[in-house]
Amino acid sequence: MNQFRKILRFELKNYLSNKIFVGVTVFLLILIAGVSFFPRLKEGFSAIVPDSHESDESLPLMLIEAPSAETAAQVEAGFASAFPEYRVTITTDDDDTIRDQIISGTAECAFLLDSLTSYAYYVNNLSMYDTNTEIADTVLQELYRTNAMVSAGLTPEEAASVLSEPIVHETKSLGKDQMQNFFYTYIMIFALYMVILLYGQMVATNVAAEKSSRAMELLITSAKPVSMMFGKILASCIAGFVQLFAVFGFALLCFRLNQNVWDNNSLLTSFFGMPVSLFVYMLIFFLLGFLIYAFLFGAVGSTASKLEDINTAVMPVTTLFVIAFLVVVMSMSSGNVDTLLMKICSFLPFTSPMAMFTRIAMSTVPFYEIAASIVILIASVIGIGILSAKIYRLGVLMYGNPPKLTTILKHLK
Amino acid sequence: MRLELKNIEKSFGANQVLKGVSFTAEGGAACGLLGRNGAGKTTSLRILMDVFPADAGEVLYDGKPVDYATIRFGYLPEERGLYPKKKILEQLVYFCELKGMSRKDAVKAADAWLERIGMSEYRDKRLDTLSKGNQQKIQLITALAHDPQIIILDEPFSGLDPVNAMLLKDIVKEEIQKGKIVLFSSHQMNYIEEFCDRIAVLNGGRIVLSGDLREIKRSYPRNRLVIHSEAAAQIKALLPYPCSPDENGALLLTLPAPEAKQQVMQELTQRFDIDAISVYEPSLNDIFVEYTKQSADGDGKEAI
Repeated sequence: MNQFRKILRFELKNYLSNKIFVGVTVFLLILIAGVSFFPRLKEGFSAIVPDSHESDESLPLMLIEAPSAETAAQVEAGFASAFPEYRVTITTDDDDTIRDQIISGTAECAFLLDSLTSYAYYVNNLSMYDTNTEIADTVLQELYRTNAMVSAGLTPEEAASVLSEPIVHETKSLGKDQMQNFFYTYIMIFALYMVILLYGQMVATNVAAEKSSRAMELLITSAKPVSMMFGKILASCIAGFVQLFAVFGFALLCFRLNQNVWDNNSLLTSFFGMPVSLFVYMLIFFLLGFLIYAFLFGAVGSTASKLEDINTAVMPVTTLFVIAFLVVVMSMSSGNVDTLLMKICSFLPFTSPMAMFTRIAMSTVPFYEIAASIVILIASVIGIGILSAKIYRLGVLMYGNPPKLTTILKHLK
Repeated sequence: MRLELKNIEKSFGANQVLKGVSFTAEGGAACGLLGRNGAGKTTSLRILMDVFPADAGEVLYDGKPVDYATIRFGYLPEERGLYPKKKILEQLVYFCELKGMSRKDAVKAADAWLERIGMSEYRDKRLDTLSKGNQQKIQLITALAHDPQIIILDEPFSGLDPVNAMLLKDIVKEEIQKGKIVLFSSHQMNYIEEFCDRIAVLNGGRIVLSGDLREIKRSYPRNRLVIHSEAAAQIKALLPYPCSPDENGALLLTLPAPEAKQQVMQELTQRFDIDAISVYEPSLNDIFVEYTKQSADGDGKEAI
């Protein structure tokens, strides 16, 4: 136990005094501070320099061509309010001139109307997010309906009020609100993904470096493999959590300081408004998920003789983890996190940290299922930890080509 | 103090590396563990230090199974290496702490040893700024600083210049005088002859020879004389016994029986100008080659 503590302290000091580790953390903190204070800085800046009111001239040009001047005027009025980010202008140029204007960049887009119910939309490069036609359709439909109602005897005001009558509705989610929880579930799953891959690689490299520098020859005769393995893994785990807490804690602090600016950002408010119980589950699954993979990374790291072999050695573990990640993320985006696959995954130790957490966050899971998943995971962490210490003891003394899995298993007694 | 390996057997998969290894090392004396590459030396040492268990056999300290919680081992591995990017004092202290020392004692011991080998000024330098020989001296500290009862030195002299080799010899002699058990593994036979009272020769996973080095040497028939003389040619022509020059240019004379040597020595010193004459004792090198050359699998890579 004493030995384990010493290894833990030594390894932890390695992480915390590592310039890159400290550098990346500080960089992240500065980035967070920069982003969260940016709106304020911008506000402060605009207060000093009076806002040079954006003139209409700077807006991109949207051309409208209609069969009659009356229609054109009606459409222009409708479009002007529907497209505030465009300078809507009526044109009487012919088709080719309009095309040229768009290709040359003088105008951004053009609506060539045959009638209120039929038009051609010209744009140079159609953006993935171009919703102009949808907006135009709505505006034109409204104009068409208004015209129809007016010709049927209603006044334009009556027609407008009929068309714009809103429907009042209210959604009451009795379980979880997936929409709201999606963001932080996604952020946490992604953070877990990043942390496991980064730290796993670090653990594997650390072990392989000791082996390739032959410091291992001495270490293995000075300390028990189990102490070595658990000391190393827990050190990386603590370092990881220190970094995470620094980053997320600082982000929370910055968010609180600038709350009034970010209040209407639903993503951030939902993230920082995470329920405490969920936060606790997140910590548990994060910790256990981290440990189980870190042990695997440590074990495979010990089978590599040279640092160059690390990438090939960790491939099976990385692949396993990426598959687990993909299964969970795909279920998340499909909206149904309670599929049979997800249910199975939430009990398998290699997928449950992500799968069970996702289900807890985005659906309603009975407590006994959560407890069972955690118990299985804890047992697996201990089992994998001891197994990886055994692999480590064998692996670190094998030089030359990385041994096959079957060879290692045969030697494990 | 007495360390004893008894009938140690070890296999890795289908490959049986140790087939019943037994030898003894005493406190206050060095024991040389010899063997060709792949003979099982490192495996024996690792079992001795409990890196992995033996399949059969036992390791005894004063007649009882070794208690690894209380018996301290100091090990200088053949494959040297520490943390290249770490400060020297920091890693020396770490290794001492792993061996059970408190931090305070570890710092004290590490500093004292740095002083002893004349490298105090390097204590806060990174290891990889040192030359290979100096790194090796630092590594020696990791084997000795925690005051182990049993010291295992695997090829301790390789890579050291004569001055450093002398320093190491002095240090090893001091440790032997303190009554510690020192196990030497080396291919440099002259060092083994200089230090070791006992030897154990491993070949193909078995101990083929072990015991007191002087007794082993004396057990060879004492019927041969080594003669250093300018008159070697005349001696050779005159004497009726088989004569052959040895590798040092001396004359090796084989008598029909050891009893004749007294008379022959007298005769020779009276009749010729003799620089030196002595009874031939085989060198450790000769003994080693004699006992290990038949090994068929001697050149295999050491398994683990």
